[in-house]
Amino acid sequence: MEFSRRSFLTAMGLGTAAAVAGCATTSPSGSSAADPTGPVEGDITFLCALFEGATGKDTLEGKLLKQFNEKYPDVNVTVDYTDYGSLNEKITTGLASGLMPDVVTLGVGWIPPFAFKNAIAPLPESLATRYTYEERVLEPSRFDGKLYALPMVLDTRIVAYRKDFFEEAGIKDTPKNWDELREIAKQLTVKEGDKVTRVGFDPFSIDLRQCWETFLFGNSGELFSADGREVLFDSPEGVASLQLFLDMMADGSADFALTTEAGQPTTLQQGTSAIMMTNNSLYVQLEQQSPELIDKIGTFVLGNTDPAMLQGGTMVSQSATSKNPAAARALVEFLGSPDPVLVASEQRGSVPAISDLKDSEYVQGNPMVAFALENLGKARSEGGTPAWMEIREKIKPTLETAIVGQQTAQQAIDQLAGIANDAIARL
Amino acid sequence: MLMVAPAFLHALIWIGIPVIAAFVLSFTNYDVLTQPRFTGIQNYVDALTDPVFRRGMVNTLVYAFFTVPVAMGIALLIALMLDTQLRARALFRTAVFIPQVTATIAVALVWLWIYDPRNGLLNAVLGFFGIPAQNWLSSTTWAMPSVIVVGIWQGIGLKMLIYLAALQSLPKDVYEAASVDGASKTRQFFSITLPLLKPATFFVFVTSVISAFQAFDLIYILTDGGPANTTTMMTYEIYKSAFREFRVGYACAQSIILFVFLLLLTLANRRLNGGDSGRH
Repeated sequence: MEFSRRSFLTAMGLGTAAAVAGCATTSPSGSSAADPTGPVEGDITFLCALFEGATGKDTLEGKLLKQFNEKYPDVNVTVDYTDYGSLNEKITTGLASGLMPDVVTLGVGWIPPFAFKNAIAPLPESLATRYTYEERVLEPSRFDGKLYALPMVLDTRIVAYRKDFFEEAGIKDTPKNWDELREIAKQLTVKEGDKVTRVGFDPFSIDLRQCWETFLFGNSGELFSADGREVLFDSPEGVASLQLFLDMMADGSADFALTTEAGQPTTLQQGTSAIMMTNNSLYVQLEQQSPELIDKIGTFVLGNTDPAMLQGGTMVSQSATSKNPAAARALVEFLGSPDPVLVASEQRGSVPAISDLKDSEYVQGNPMVAFALENLGKARSEGGTPAWMEIREKIKPTLETAIVGQQTAQQAIDQLAGIANDAIARL
Repeated sequence: MLMVAPAFLHALIWIGIPVIAAFVLSFTNYDVLTQPRFTGIQNYVDALTDPVFRRGMVNTLVYAFFTVPVAMGIALLIALMLDTQLRARALFRTAVFIPQVTATIAVALVWLWIYDPRNGLLNAVLGFFGIPAQNWLSSTTWAMPSVIVVGIWQGIGLKMLIYLAALQSLPKDVYEAASVDGASKTRQFFSITLPLLKPATFFVFVTSVISAFQAFDLIYILTDGGPANTTTMMTYEIYKSAFREFRVGYACAQSIILFVFLLLLTLANRRLNGGDSGRH
């Protein structure tokens, strides 16, 4: 057997064509929404960023999916577990290889990009009303007026503070606007010589993107226009939201270097901050790491002109290319029902997306989750444009350029707006 | 030709086709969700004018510039020390080589603790000598040097092993002749050892440069490319474009640019080494 130059080039050309054609044939572009009518049967896959670890697997497969199979015995569900950080990669590789899961968990902000490109199927509007949802909670599930996902768990960004530090400083009320926040943070900052041993406010231990968005919404700002085609965050409100962090760093009451990694005791627990931006799952962390602090930590929703709480979360959606759409739809409906929602929330210390669950034992026993549920009317979410997946990656590093002093807040926001406009123009 | 067919097919399927597919896709707007559309050289224009990717290119060069020669120098030094009758040298060899075979995530997690500004080992040691604590990974000044130090430390083992193998294969009679002629140990090192190590040095250099240009996992865990993109690398930007932003066509263009970088560096090194790496 001999390989001539011609045969080599032919093989390479055919291979390339196969590769490109393979990519093209797996694309769901132009496909209609998967038809959910027909028998609820067959093998389906579920890409799951919830139910982590062995406990989660036992709960999902040992309990919940057994319930599902009691109702739909002819459906075989194969679960592919992942974590939220790797979810993107799993979906990308799945799509590229033509193995897009039939049912997939997605993050808040992800619906417009996936729905815009016909990767996920619309759901009937009746699913939005079968249980009680706060209207804000369903907003991230919609695109172009249609429902594409059912929310399961919510992760809200709230402000937590040390009541004992407030008491020591004689501060009776939590701040109601940014001016009060700055003053109180200055008052609560502790220095030993030149070294700050406790910052008044820690905005940096959560993702800077989400922190800035919380302040943007709290300052009556918006990320994008309703149709997702126009950048609105490059407004004075957006710049002021970033400038606030710089001002507080200049005050000495916030420190970019003083952060904690996920899972570590927070700066609030360590006593190195008096107020911090955090997630409602802090309560579970307190129970595990610092139960003695539970009564010493309070929460509030901060705003400047408009109190706002950022609401992230995990939703469940159906692939537009599922070969067993009726089975996939049935699983989506099941996962969005109270039992799975409550169990998933409890495992993560998250807020259940269904308001009816506010009286559950879990919610009543977790003050931070109860607090978040009570304030869902003030919830705002990120995303809102089909170009979000590209834009969201650029926000944190671009904002950081202002935080580390490489450019001003205005320049950073202008740069980010330019990036966002380019991404939207590419749609 | 039949004998090489298995290897050829393996290379064709796992290297040839992906490389050509990446090259073809780099001229499209492929996003895994919709059909790729031909966009000409737009992805290349975008990549070369993107300040963050350009920053990644500079950071990659800086990272390679410091990690490769420094690690090679240290590795050679250690190899020379271990190529003696040193007691417990097998233990030392193992100790030096361990970082190479340890999972990068484990390595990075240990270094995360070492660099922790409040409770980390490094600041504790510096504090003992009265040196003020630094924010190693969140400072734009210190983040890149901190990553480079871990890169050097992790890369020494394999380089040392290659140098050690090369040292042990050097002809003893040349050294004996040099000793008879009165050449000092230093003179022997510069006039005999270093020239004879040229093929090994070429191999270590090329593989180290390629490895440095592919640095990814350390960045992913230690800094996420930050703060403010000060530690982002070309590979990290490629990963973000493809897997986080769904811009696969663009990521392919970035990959081709990285490929060209490596090709040019390898060719330049080959030219500097006299165009032949296989002979003494």
